[in-house]
Amino acid sequence: MSAVSDVASAVLLLTGALFCLLTAVGVLRFPDAVCRLHAAAKAQTLGLLLILLGAALQLPLRYAVPLVLVALFQLLTVPVTTQVVGRTAYRTSSLHTPSLVEDELAHRIPPEERAPSAEG
Amino acid sequence: MNRRPPHRLPAVLWLWLLWVLLWSTPTALVVTGGLLVSVAVVFAFRLPPVSPQITVRPLRVLRLVGGLLRNLVASAASVAWAAVRHGPRVRAAIVEVPLTSDSDLLVTGTSMLTTVTPGSLVLEIDRERGLLYVHVLPVAGPEDAAGERERLRRAEAAVVSALGRDARAASSQPPRKESP
Repeated sequence: MSAVSDVASAVLLLTGALFCLLTAVGVLRFPDAVCRLHAAAKAQTLGLLLILLGAALQLPLRYAVPLVLVALFQLLTVPVTTQVVGRTAYRTSSLHTPSLVEDELAHRIPPEERAPSAEG
Repeated sequence: MNRRPPHRLPAVLWLWLLWVLLWSTPTALVVTGGLLVSVAVVFAFRLPPVSPQITVRPLRVLRLVGGLLRNLVASAASVAWAAVRHGPRVRAAIVEVPLTSDSDLLVTGTSMLTTVTPGSLVLEIDRERGLLYVHVLPVAGPEDAAGERERLRRAEAAVVSALGRDARAASSQPPRKESP
């Protein structure tokens, strides 16, 4: 039984770590703030959930419950953070426009109404 | 509106449960202390009432949560793949998705679900016109963006059918206002 849960934990922890690594790759390689948010919001969340699950398998139940709370609050707060950061990025011209295939928000917030980008 | 206590009770219970779970040992002190703290917090920080225009359908909510977890795995994999495969040359799009629901809770639910849906992230919520602006990544071309819009519309329909007060009426409701 303990061997089974050890193997399951190992697989979960390693997969979680892999997703965290891929998040870092995305944050490094994507062209602008919002694309990086995609990596941070999804790959990172899944990585964290897998690591929490792997850790919970090794713990007595009363210590595993707070980990469930960590996962719950992660899932609740990530969409809020990404929306606020993404919205700010758009309004401060931090998007790499050449990589956008289509931009239906442009007619609502035209470029001249946005704050100039810090990068110039 | 004058039925105040029922609105507060769930919040008190939730905070109480949270307190006991965080202490992880339910001794008498923790349990009574938690009750006092949660009552104090709920009465000290009054939140605006969340509009009660929802009906919870447990089975559909379960299906929604299951779909959410599946989507999270799919979207993490797709973003990770895009990071490795395309990196700096990744193509993205911003699409406009009309919302059919007008309840705060449903809009929140929809944008949460959208954020974990593969490849999409809510950039801007226009409550007045009932529009959601979604950043999509990765996309191959404009036809891809259109497919994405269709998928987001289905995601919203799932939220409305799980929590909307009248699922059928909500999904057939016309768009609220025309853009000027």
